[in-house]
Amino acid sequence: MASHGVPRSATREQRSVEARQKELREIEQYQSLVTEIRQGVEKKDLSPELLDKTSALLKKNPEYYTIWNVRRLIFANEFDNLVNQVQNQHLEEDKKQSQVLDIINHDLYFLFPLLLEYPKCYWIWNHRLWLLNQGSFYLTPGGARALWDDELTLVSKMLTRDSRNFHGWGYRRTVIEKLESDELNGQSLSRAEYNYTTKMIGQNLSNFSAWHTRSRLILKILNEENADAVERKQMLDEELKLIHKALFDPYDQSLWFYHQNLMSNFDPDTCQKAMAPGLSQAEKVAYVQEEREFVEDLIEDAADSKWVYQALMDCVLIEGKLTGGLSAEMNKNVQTWLEKLKELDPLRSGRWADVQHTILRRTV
Amino acid sequence: MSLVSGPGRGGTHNQDALPDQLKLAVDQHVRYIRNLDTRKDELQYWLTEHLRLNGVYWGLTALHLLGHPEGLPRDATIKFVLDCHNIDGGFGAAPGHDSHMLYTVSAVQILATVDALPELESSKYGGKAKVADFIANLQDRESGTFAGDEWGEQDTRFLYCAFNALSILNMMDRIDVDKAVAYVKACENFDGSYGRIPGAESHSGQVFTCVGALAIARRLDLVSQDRLAAWLSERQLPNGGLNGRPEKLEDVCYSWWVLTGLSIIGKLHWIDKSKLSNFILRCQDTEHGGMSDRPGNMVDVFHTCFGVAGLSLLGYPGLRKVNPMYCMPDDVVQKLPYWHK
Ligand SMILES: [Zn+2]
Repeated sequence: MASHGVPRSATREQRSVEARQKELREIEQYQSLVTEIRQGVEKKDLSPELLDKTSALLKKNPEYYTIWNVRRLIFANEFDNLVNQVQNQHLEEDKKQSQVLDIINHDLYFLFPLLLEYPKCYWIWNHRLWLLNQGSFYLTPGGARALWDDELTLVSKMLTRDSRNFHGWGYRRTVIEKLESDELNGQSLSRAEYNYTTKMIGQNLSNFSAWHTRSRLILKILNEENADAVERKQMLDEELKLIHKALFDPYDQSLWFYHQNLMSNFDPDTCQKAMAPGLSQAEKVAYVQEEREFVEDLIEDAADSKWVYQALMDCVLIEGKLTGGLSAEMNKNVQTWLEKLKELDPLRSGRWADVQHTILRRTV
Repeated sequence: MSLVSGPGRGGTHNQDALPDQLKLAVDQHVRYIRNLDTRKDELQYWLTEHLRLNGVYWGLTALHLLGHPEGLPRDATIKFVLDCHNIDGGFGAAPGHDSHMLYTVSAVQILATVDALPELESSKYGGKAKVADFIANLQDRESGTFAGDEWGEQDTRFLYCAFNALSILNMMDRIDVDKAVAYVKACENFDGSYGRIPGAESHSGQVFTCVGALAIARRLDLVSQDRLAAWLSERQLPNGGLNGRPEKLEDVCYSWWVLTGLSIIGKLHWIDKSKLSNFILRCQDTEHGGMSDRPGNMVDVFHTCFGVAGLSLLGYPGLRKVNPMYCMPDDVVQKLPYWHK
């Protein structure tokens, strides 16, 4: 929205007479530009002059979606004309291709500074994707692929500047999907992307975007490579090793969410959709006990991290599901941890009361 | 309806108030919203024209929840909505702007709120059947999801908008609901929350749209309720406000997206409601009116709407009850024929 994180500036009552007049002049200029573009579209005058006017307006206001639509109408018309010229044998196919490529490149170049200035503006990202998709349609697979390759470089740069940019990560997934597609003679990039998340996590452990992307990629890799039970278990072991290393910061919720994700391998209610669904009952119990010991060790240095108690409780509850119930001792432990959670995490005391209630009901 | 931010600033006039002294400045907010359209001498008024119809919806909804439905003149509101209607059956952000799902849903919501849906039939571009056609044509029949307009960007936001508008028009039979529902399910992540498209990271805005869509389709059985509620409740920060995803700052609008998800699955008590209430109240400018995203920033009508809606959902006294699926007055939703089937 227009005003996320906008600090206070001079209000209109405080504007000087000159400032007010200047603003009124700006409004007039802006409005006449809007009118000229609208008239151009009504007259179906999809000329280079009209394109220049849309450029001028979008630089002032990249959120004006109707103007992006006008821009696309102009380009679509130019592409149509080129195709017609080829059909009428007034133009060679390779000349058409190079002209299409020029148009696309020129506009990608126009968008670049806008993207840097307004990285959260949906319409700019949309327009870029539209242009690139035109490339896929009108160019040879090789020519189109080069455009998408450059786009991957661009989005990597953006994610280096802001490693949690939501649009950036989403856009990256779209670009990768295109580079993998048959229309561009692509093949799977899952392993490369998995390594990319390792790199991003290495730079900043609390990058939840990277952990999320990783969780999706792992399932994709295992399916693409037809991984058997042993390979799946290997992947799980590697992920556990990584998260254990990361959890030297036991206060970071991104890490604990990922840990919970791995724990879903052992929970009979969720394991079917997890990365290693073929674990035996005995293996699951062994894993859960190992995790519990790992978390217990963390308590010494992080007795005030609520996540530790929550993880311990999860371990024990899953173990209870696997072995047919909680021992009296474990039950007592769970109650102690729940009390600890209520104390450390008062904002969510309603949740902990619900959990307590459910366990009591189950035990009775 | 201007979407210019300011002139007020959230928290300016109640910074030192103790929690039990914080009160909703109803009259000031009403005045603030009523005066928004008198700001045409500001460049920002024109630079935000692409949001105008959304702005009318935000202002109108806030006024209705504040108990001042007369705050915006009914006839002029209806006329403005119909002036945004286009030949393709959809609505643009303002007269002369292209049709888009985001404005089409606002148009339908506004007309329903002022009890004027039959007025659609008087539009020169056709009645509600034409509007429903515009929406239904944006469904991708293969995947089940929706695009925002003819240019094709897909997002579960648009799927939600389609469900919202078509259920208000009682024309859900125009689309493949089952396919759309399966698509929403595919957007669920390991944390129980949802993304824009399958594979995308969880975001509380998408919880509002995905859980809202499932609720409208009466398919809440598909939600991993405990897992989702756990993730949503972790959005609350020690200052009482809620954020959109892990490690981000609190914000009044995210507070609404998270709150609706919790409310729809019956887990509102998994966060500290009075702390959230106080956070929202601290975002108001009690003198000039309006609310901001967080204390200290400029107010705007968007955050004013979602702040008031959040307080209503939290049961703040004196407010008209809001419906969490639609962000509209609950009695308006209860009267819709779709909910009497
Ligand atoms: Zn916000």
